[in-house]
Amino acid sequence: MKARRFFEKLEALYGDEQARLNELDAAIGDGDHGSTMLRGLSAAVKAGDGSQAKAFMRASGGASGTLFGLILHEIELHLSGSERSLAAHLGRSLQRIKELGKVAAGDKSMVDALEPAVAALDAGGGTSDAVSAAEGGRDSTRDMAARRGRARYVENAGKGHVDPGAASVCLILGVLAGEEEAR
Amino acid sequence: MKKLFNSQETMVDDMIDGFVAAHPQVARGKNDKRVVVRRKPKNKDSKVTLLIGNGSGHEPIAMGFVGEGLLDANVVGDVFAAPSADLILDGITEVCGAAGSILLISQHSGDVINGGAAAMLAEEAGHTVKPLFMYDDISSAPKGEEAERRGAPGTMFIYKILGAAAEEGMALGPLLELGEAVRDGTRTLAAAVSPGISPLTGQAMFSLPEDEIYLGMGVHGEPGIGKAKYGPVSRLVETMVAALLEDRPVPEGERVAVIVNGMGGTTLMELLTVYRETGRALASRGISTVAPMVGTYVTTQEMGGFSISLLTPTDEMLRLWCAPSDTPHFPAIKLD
Repeated sequence: MKARRFFEKLEALYGDEQARLNELDAAIGDGDHGSTMLRGLSAAVKAGDGSQAKAFMRASGGASGTLFGLILHEIELHLSGSERSLAAHLGRSLQRIKELGKVAAGDKSMVDALEPAVAALDAGGGTSDAVSAAEGGRDSTRDMAARRGRARYVENAGKGHVDPGAASVCLILGVLAGEEEAR
Repeated sequence: MKKLFNSQETMVDDMIDGFVAAHPQVARGKNDKRVVVRRKPKNKDSKVTLLIGNGSGHEPIAMGFVGEGLLDANVVGDVFAAPSADLILDGITEVCGAAGSILLISQHSGDVINGGAAAMLAEEAGHTVKPLFMYDDISSAPKGEEAERRGAPGTMFIYKILGAAAEEGMALGPLLELGEAVRDGTRTLAAAVSPGISPLTGQAMFSLPEDEIYLGMGVHGEPGIGKAKYGPVSRLVETMVAALLEDRPVPEGERVAVIVNGMGGTTLMELLTVYRETGRALASRGISTVAPMVGTYVTTQEMGGFSISLLTPTDEMLRLWCAPSDTPHFPAIKLD
């Protein structure tokens, strides 16, 4: 139930944020990050319990859909009564994303927001601390040059623009924090 | 360009419908219609199963190689797009038993991320599945950075040799070692002469002047090592064989297994000519050829061109390469 509510709220938020994320992405990539995420989330809210993150992966398509799907998969497990901590779940998605995407902190990617968020949780912080840490990480991507993906080939490797993937991590964790507080 | 499809939305599923209806060796998976499996599977608790995911539009690879002595399943993505991680996971769930599975991954960025994620999610769900990353295209990264290279038609050596070994009952660990050894002994270089037409856009996928050939172009039109002037095929093949042997030298007196693969729009008449010239270029260096595979197997629609793949096989690899198989499209390969 909690997982379903999370996906519904996230879909509603991306309905509002889609255009802004597409714009962020247009500066350094394909310009479709917001639309891709929304397409995945719309499929997720229609899917059965326990397969919402998988439905997201299939509908969003592409490598970035898979990497975000790994985060949503862990949140879905967490909200479906898993015994593991949120820190452990998000930490596992972070490790997988770094390994599969061959990406590290400082490369201007979703990892720059996710890694500080996991560190905040590991240090005993709550979900809202994780959101603050992710937002700090997101803002730090503005001055970074991209080392992976299409952003490498744009002017100044995307310097001056916030990474849309890092911005998305903040949106996802923000909705999760709102749900945890409402509890 | 006139293409014979019902609609973009249904073209992949329509093709799979036709494929499973036409061939008694194969069927659709129970849980996912984009998974093609053997109609009569072996006991998956005693046999290691092999599967691969790939975008469609490259037929007959890889669904054409599902059957006895080769693949257990193929996960079919949209046109030129890697299947999603959850779809590959459905394929693993379908065929993975107590003996475990190998997920073959031909290195292209989408396949690596989605296949890798699928293997992680499958392990999490309690399956024993190991990814085997395949790369052989010498034009896609320099010597010394082999692990960064793309997968190309030389990966068919791995499909077939591991397929035969798994059928004989080889266990997961030795199969992975064998697969890595075949990969490390294989090199491929391609030459493109004309573009394929995308079934999605109806447009040519790249352009090339009439008097030029593209060396090293990937199966999706990825850039290679550069253009060459169009001329006699003997000269082109000599250049390609020299590049392959420079990348991985083969001693005089050695034998190599050869794949000459057509990209879709090149005739058998031309491919056989290429094989003749390949044999001559090798023979001039004291290298003999054995158990060749010549034909159109990894395609990009009607793209014109071919690739040459060389493997220096051990006796065991050669025996498995020539072992019988029963699939819709893999040929019988004969020793002399």
